[in-house]
Amino acid sequence: MSAVLEVSNLRKSFGGITAVDGVSFEVRDGEILGIIGPNGSGKSTLFNCVLGQLQPTDGEVKVDGKVTNGMRPRDINRLGVSRTFQLLQVFPQLSVRDNLILAGQEHQGTMFTRLIGRSDAGLGPAADQMIEFFRLSHIATEMAGMLSYGQQKLLDAAMAFMAGPRLVLLDEPAGGVNLTMLANLRERLQAYHAERKATFVVIEH
Amino acid sequence: MNRAATISIAFAAAGAVIAPFMLKPFGIFLISMWAVLTIAAIGLNLTLGYAGQVSMAQGAFVGIGAYTLALLTQAGVPYPIAFAASGILCFIIGWGLGYPALRVQHHYLAFVTLAFTTIVFLLLRNEEWLTGGIYGVNAIARPVFFGWSTGKAMDYYFFCLGVLTVIAFAVWWMLRSPWGRAFVALRENPVRALSLGLDTRRYTLMAFAIGSSLGGFAGALFASLVQFIEPASFALNRSFDLLLMVIVGGSGYFMGPFVGALVAVLLPEWMRVTEGYYLIIYAALIMVMMPLAPYGIVGLIERGYKALTVKRKPPAPMLTPERTAP
Repeated sequence: MSAVLEVSNLRKSFGGITAVDGVSFEVRDGEILGIIGPNGSGKSTLFNCVLGQLQPTDGEVKVDGKVTNGMRPRDINRLGVSRTFQLLQVFPQLSVRDNLILAGQEHQGTMFTRLIGRSDAGLGPAADQMIEFFRLSHIATEMAGMLSYGQQKLLDAAMAFMAGPRLVLLDEPAGGVNLTMLANLRERLQAYHAERKATFVVIEH
Repeated sequence: MNRAATISIAFAAAGAVIAPFMLKPFGIFLISMWAVLTIAAIGLNLTLGYAGQVSMAQGAFVGIGAYTLALLTQAGVPYPIAFAASGILCFIIGWGLGYPALRVQHHYLAFVTLAFTTIVFLLLRNEEWLTGGIYGVNAIARPVFFGWSTGKAMDYYFFCLGVLTVIAFAVWWMLRSPWGRAFVALRENPVRALSLGLDTRRYTLMAFAIGSSLGGFAGALFASLVQFIEPASFALNRSFDLLLMVIVGGSGYFMGPFVGALVAVLLPEWMRVTEGYYLIIYAALIMVMMPLAPYGIVGLIERGYKALTVKRKPPAPMLTPERTAP
């Protein structure tokens, strides 16, 4: 199996504080890698460096063998890397279905064809499948901001899969979720992994 | 769009067509002004209401559009070309003004756009060789299309209404397309939008440019409506008026600018019976309305309608988790 993600000697400093200091690891195709550490140990900073939301001070990140240092988050996303965030990051004024369509629409056609084409960018059936897969059918037309925390967490995870990514970085998916909801989320993520052979990196405490 | 909204819009459209036949010339002038300013407010609603980019420059774009049309038509350029040039020029300038929005947000961006409005006002006032300075430009032509002259008030109103209809349809189309979703994403969570592959940079610039170009088109219509323009018409108070229209009507609601412009154009006129007190009463009404209806009139109507019609749903089959600190 080839390495989907390679992180070599990654370092990120904020002034005098070094949040990530010489981290190296690799994730192979279809693998689930867990990264565990206490609050403030730099896990989310590591993800932000991998995703291009922060530029590493030193070291190298490769996705499918391609160096991504200096690339913008949207370009890294185009390489098939998706993520969830530690704190909820759904779009509260859009419906669940629209959140999912939005999560995949930029991978469909060009900006111009998205303007003149179908309002769902051809992603309506895929969004409906994802809604069913993550058991969100009963709230598909609700505004995301009206959902409970756990439901938003499920939606957040579902959004990360809409574009059919090669690699998904899950930042504390269990954070603030009760045991019943957590079991539901874990079961769905395992099912997705089994069905699509997706590659995951999971951060947890 | 639900049935109630469709019926309401159909009635409003019918009212807009019938209204001039029941009004005197000044009344027709007022509803023409409503149509013109609605276009400018639609542009600001796109930039501010949907894409979340605070702009205090819409009045300046109305001015740029007005002067472009006035100067070009007086130089002998055919009206349709001058009209198109007004929108295109504002699109280009708006694209440029969007660049600061890539670096600053909220009140910082408001000050950038406010400074732009001041610069435009000073240029219009001081560059007398081009703009006529404080004397402005007069005798601005109204268009003639295939023998149909829009010189009379009612004809020009229907021309404005036609342009408003075309622009409203185009904006409605854009907002229901993936672009509309992307604009909302920009407003609500640009970091997440970026991580989902959205080109937030290009969408931000587009929101500014398209919103500005609508200001330009409104300015072109404004110039031919009043047939005399001078710099004071496009100073900061014009931008504040347009902002008021968007906020009062309902920022981020498609119908918000229509209602907001109606309130901002007609309410002061209706209240003139109170003579010297009308501005005080108008301002007090706005102050009372904002805390009571922060989502604007359309937002208030929508929430009221939902409260009346939505039945209580049975609890969802999932347990609701507690929100705890991570």
